[in-house]
Amino acid sequence: MENAGIFVFIGLLMIAIFMVLVEITIPQGVIDPSYRLVILAVAFFFDLMAFSSRFYGYLFLPVLKQRKRHIVLSNEDAYWLSTTGDSILHKEGDMFTSTIYIKIPLYISATEMGETEKMEFTRQCARVVCMSHDPIRFTSQMNVMNKDDYLKTIRDTIGEVENKEALIASGVKTDESEDRVKGKASMWHHMFDRISGTASFEMITYASVSGKGSKEFEAISAAQARSRDAMSAIGSIFGVPPSIVTGEALLKFVEPEYLIPYSTISEQITKQIREQVS
Amino acid sequence: MDDTTMMYFGMSMVIIFIVAANFGTFGGGIYGYGVILICILGVVFLLMMTFADFIVFPLMTGLFGITFQPSRNYKITRGQEAVIKNVNGLYYATGYLTANLFAHTFKAEAAPEGEDERRMVAPENWEKAVMSLDFPFKFHVMSSALDVQQVRDELEGKRSYQEFQMSRAMQSKNTTEVIMADLQRNINVIQAKMDRISQEEKPIANLMYIETTAVGVSEKAALDNLSAQLKQLSIAMGVLDVQILRVVGRELYTLFKFSFALPTTYEELSSNFDIQQ
Repeated sequence: MENAGIFVFIGLLMIAIFMVLVEITIPQGVIDPSYRLVILAVAFFFDLMAFSSRFYGYLFLPVLKQRKRHIVLSNEDAYWLSTTGDSILHKEGDMFTSTIYIKIPLYISATEMGETEKMEFTRQCARVVCMSHDPIRFTSQMNVMNKDDYLKTIRDTIGEVENKEALIASGVKTDESEDRVKGKASMWHHMFDRISGTASFEMITYASVSGKGSKEFEAISAAQARSRDAMSAIGSIFGVPPSIVTGEALLKFVEPEYLIPYSTISEQITKQIREQVS
Repeated sequence: MDDTTMMYFGMSMVIIFIVAANFGTFGGGIYGYGVILICILGVVFLLMMTFADFIVFPLMTGLFGITFQPSRNYKITRGQEAVIKNVNGLYYATGYLTANLFAHTFKAEAAPEGEDERRMVAPENWEKAVMSLDFPFKFHVMSSALDVQQVRDELEGKRSYQEFQMSRAMQSKNTTEVIMADLQRNINVIQAKMDRISQEEKPIANLMYIETTAVGVSEKAALDNLSAQLKQLSIAMGVLDVQILRVVGRELYTLFKFSFALPTTYEELSSNFDIQQ
């Protein structure tokens, strides 16, 4: 890819230089001087395009081909899960890139640390950042917890308790007293309101490494080798057992919609509408 | 500016030199002024694309209403400031902020005073910043350790060059105190870096950025929410003493690609960004 970029640069630069050289070699009076200016301006345009190819080369071909306001750089999926289930794969040109996510289970808080522990923790972070010669990315991610299943369980429990309450009210004898059932119903309602009322967040720390290859398995093997090195270094520095994220759990680190559960969004939208109406 | 960009810039300037050397062949009078104007504009545009492309590129795409599709289901907005994904009628806008530590790590002649205290409060400051936020975000630190000997050799080379400049300046009659102080400061900065390496501090290339995602029922709503979130992040993360800037333009596209594939070599990492060392 890098070589292709250089060829584009050289090609455009050569066109610009050729135009200027032709202009210089044509004797004065052969063409109108105003045309000379136009040719020079066009040569500079190509020169500018040549320089722009350093960072914007990826746009040249799609822009020229499509000539639309919405330019499709790629119509492929951004990634797909590897058959091994432990990484995601991305293809660019002929090269595959496999990325592995390593979860770092750090459950400590600064409020629980003494001064020396805080210093030690900062030192550990500094050590972990400079542990690898290959690029490695460390991420602290905060996302909204998906409480849908938990809320469903509470809702079911409320249903059961209310059913019992109704039975007691209609005179049916149950194994629990009326007061106890009422208390239970009130408790579960209160818990449901509290939990569903606010969004809960979770903080996850993870590292990610990539490997490249001309075949899928080559890229996966390269990434796996790097992840093994990273895991052993992270484990020895923090003293925790890092683990590779597999399967659907990977989506939380890649897909934006997994950062906020759908139920939270619908609640937020309803709240916004209510605020606008009232 | 990295070496490759410098090479591109140098070679692109060749055309200016050719025109300047053959200025006479373009004719005099008003056409001569025209040639000068085109040359000046050429240089200005080249400099703009070198140092201010993050302004020029979004300006152009915004002006012409150009959007990009980096991969299926994703769209980069015309302002080049966010990547949008549409999932079942909901829009997820993702934006990025740089979070560079340049401010006090790389411009100082020596490690700043009170560094131990700063390290001690860092975990607490981080937790305070996180607790003040109520939306999802990701704080990324991408690093690559550098070869100690190579970095040391480079620094020694730079120091020798600065010392040579200084000895020349001392012999010159036009040298002012300001020039001498500036050269001395450069030498001190390089020496401070060398001292830190001598104290077993490992040199690393580092790229730090923050990513956040906002949701909306329309593109505009998602982008408005994203802007609000990015503002909140800038305020909250300000306590960490990092230089925060919103990422727009080509770097947004590169960071978007990092979500699925990371660079595998230092060269690949450094070719797209102004990396911290």
